[in-house]
Amino acid sequence: MPKNKAKDRQKVGKKTEGTISRRTVLKIGAAAGAAGVLAPSILSPKEALGFQAITEPVLCTTPTNSPPHHPFVQDFAAPFPAEDHPLMPAPTESRNEAAGEAPRADHQRWAQFTPAQFTHELEAKPGLHTFHPDYSPTYIWGFNGLYPGPQMLQRYGKSTIVRFRNSLPLTTTTFGRNEMTIHLHNGHHGSESDGFAGDFFSTGFYKDHLYPNIYAGLDSFGGIGDHNEKMGTFWYHDHRAEFTAPNNQMGLNGQFIVYDETDPGHEHPSVDSLQLPGYYGITDFPIILNDKKFCPTANGRTEMVNAVAGGDKWIVNGMIQPKLTVRRRKYRFRILNTGPTKVWTLSLVKPDGSVGTMTCIATDANFLEHPLRINDTDGAGNSNATTAPIVPGGLKVAVAERYDIVIDFTEFPAGSKLYLKEAAQQFVGLPSPDPLPAGLDIRNVLMQFSVVNREPWFPVDTPAIPATLCTYPSIPDPVDNFFEWQFIRDPAVTCPAGTHLDPPRMFRIRRPTLGDTLGCVFDADRPAHAILRGTSEEWLINNMVAGSAWAHPVHIHFEEFRTIERLVNGVVVGRLNDPNLPIAPLFSGRKDVNFVEAGQGARIRMRFRDYNGAYLIHCHNMAHEDAFMMVRWDICPDQASLDACNAILQVCQEVQQCVPD
Amino acid sequence: MDRRKLLTRVFEPHPASPGATRYTNAVLRTQDNKEVRFYDDLIRGRQVVINFFYADCKGACPAVTQKLKRIYNQLRDRMGNDLFFYSISLKPRDDTPAAMKRYAQMNKGDEPGWLFLTGDPYDIETIRFRLFGMGHPGFDLDETTHAGLLRIINDNRNSWGMAQAYASDQNILKRISWQDPQKSYGEMVRIYRDLQVKINEDVKKYGYRRDAWL
Repeated sequence: MPKNKAKDRQKVGKKTEGTISRRTVLKIGAAAGAAGVLAPSILSPKEALGFQAITEPVLCTTPTNSPPHHPFVQDFAAPFPAEDHPLMPAPTESRNEAAGEAPRADHQRWAQFTPAQFTHELEAKPGLHTFHPDYSPTYIWGFNGLYPGPQMLQRYGKSTIVRFRNSLPLTTTTFGRNEMTIHLHNGHHGSESDGFAGDFFSTGFYKDHLYPNIYAGLDSFGGIGDHNEKMGTFWYHDHRAEFTAPNNQMGLNGQFIVYDETDPGHEHPSVDSLQLPGYYGITDFPIILNDKKFCPTANGRTEMVNAVAGGDKWIVNGMIQPKLTVRRRKYRFRILNTGPTKVWTLSLVKPDGSVGTMTCIATDANFLEHPLRINDTDGAGNSNATTAPIVPGGLKVAVAERYDIVIDFTEFPAGSKLYLKEAAQQFVGLPSPDPLPAGLDIRNVLMQFSVVNREPWFPVDTPAIPATLCTYPSIPDPVDNFFEWQFIRDPAVTCPAGTHLDPPRMFRIRRPTLGDTLGCVFDADRPAHAILRGTSEEWLINNMVAGSAWAHPVHIHFEEFRTIERLVNGVVVGRLNDPNLPIAPLFSGRKDVNFVEAGQGARIRMRFRDYNGAYLIHCHNMAHEDAFMMVRWDICPDQASLDACNAILQVCQEVQQCVPD
Repeated sequence: MDRRKLLTRVFEPHPASPGATRYTNAVLRTQDNKEVRFYDDLIRGRQVVINFFYADCKGACPAVTQKLKRIYNQLRDRMGNDLFFYSISLKPRDDTPAAMKRYAQMNKGDEPGWLFLTGDPYDIETIRFRLFGMGHPGFDLDETTHAGLLRIINDNRNSWGMAQAYASDQNILKRISWQDPQKSYGEMVRIYRDLQVKINEDVKKYGYRRDAWL
């Protein structure tokens, strides 16, 4: 145990008095074992905030650095689980106008999935969050006033209705926007519950989302769908068009886990269980990543600077350089990049300074068929980079990507310290209290793992990770349709002197399949592509800005895909199941975010089933999606509605040319 | 909406509005050769749509002005009351107020609430950077890259939006509406009631919410 532990605790206690009791509660929970954490929350959000007056922040002129902080004084903890909460008035299939529900179409499959087994209320409102004991509270917007939002712990086959209530202030001095539409990334549910970017609603209203928690494939498989379509780590976040980055940076996001019998949320040898580390908050932790910059502390507050991107503090679960006391056993971490724009490159650093092994078990909520070791010795499979040379040892996490990893601390003696390293450096300003492994800079450290022997009351280690974690659902073959989406900031035309490019270069999504010469920007009222329900498609996702630094984590709502080919500048560099041209293993499984760096492309296949309505494909770099790099696509219930939809497709066919100045 | 109420509504700047420090109070000239201060007279408390153009531009500018004219006609009730269009010259050396007047009349834009502005080149470049600057020198220094964009500001809400001048009319109208003044709960109830009627019609007709009403 660190010798200054008692001192740190005192500091934590003093600084956070009356502000973040939930964290204190979690610490008590962690000390008391599983029962304490798995029990429902004891404190209401109001109590957890200590009844402080939540006044609007006074923003500073952006300083060179955030204030310095002491590393490794906070105890890393998981966000508190959301409470099951009766909804008054009861949710209804049609919009409940009288009670103040925002406009929406009727819930699809309402009779099939109601009454819901769980109901939750998540109220978006201002709150105060202390990111570090050296800091004063920070004004945030959070669900129930908390950042990160309450952790949703759900189960397949048990439907949930979440009432998202907008209690954001009518007027704010921050960069946030008081309208919201909450997307569950990447839930399989109706468009009316999907948080479509144009469906944002105002302060004072609420909207009920029906999350059936079913596997995709309801129409063809019946019951609760095809169990091979199982997903695990979702997240929910604001999707307000033009203001997604600001509102997420204000704090409007949280993680959402759905368990099933293979991944039951416990470690007992139950039927079909993979017995992965699975006690939430004990051996199974989210790692929710974000970067922020702060003003100097003033008037009892340490506010975020008035800029959305470009933080110099790495935020993990709302903390800065926390430490986690781990027992000598396996732990599961559910890494989630909440953006707004930063791509993380993570690696595990062992006490001797060498790279440790993180075993990746899931990509974007989907189990990999076979777990994948990520370190610097296991070959090219240890990276999801597709550009040469592959840098070993790094797990790249683009915005909205999730990677579930297992770290086995058994081999490290008690007293060892391991570090989760990010390739880029943050601003720390104070030295590390512990000697760091050779070659590791404190500014690269995301968090510290402090190894202790397992106490008798702590859950025993789980068995070895099974060699096979799941069976992938079949890839549609042949597909019914082909479509290409090009993510462009171009074409990069150099106009002769005396002329200029018209229209100018901007982020766009081009549809070569429809003969676009230029490309589309987000239009909430018109789909860019229409799909008949029950069909399958092959999509080519192309980042056309070769030779640049523009990278696009392309996210497709509603359905998971399989990548069958990866391309670089149009040349196939990886093909699924082709031993001569293997695809990077981290891209080989099911995903819902396709990270295409400059010039890269991916050929993916997916089905569109079970629900109708408007969904989105967009770049999940939130600055890009707010700058139009997003389009709508629709699933139409029948041929007649498909024809009607095709009749109103977005028209994006202007000609770009050089015109005289 | 009660038009009389709208006309008498006074829009104050948002308490956190950066005001003249961000927007500058540069003195510009309108097509009627009237001097105006950029923040105090043009932006303070208002919802405005700003684009850049120049009078003898052959490509983008006339098309954008035509588009703005169509948008203007759709929003005619609000123009000059709580919504303003400002077209600012990219070539202030050539564009005299008289030239702006001719351009405005030629494009039928010489109407209440729509100003064609020219002024000191240095001031205008400053304003252009403050409004459209992306922090990307290669992008920002090329003045023409800003010709196809509409900056939508609501100083009363201290909020910024943007539209592409080449997007469809309904897309631009929607994006302007996204920066509308904060509406009261009662107003939103009425707006949402109308929207719900359309959604229900849509679902009845197409089997799902198709939108595309604008």
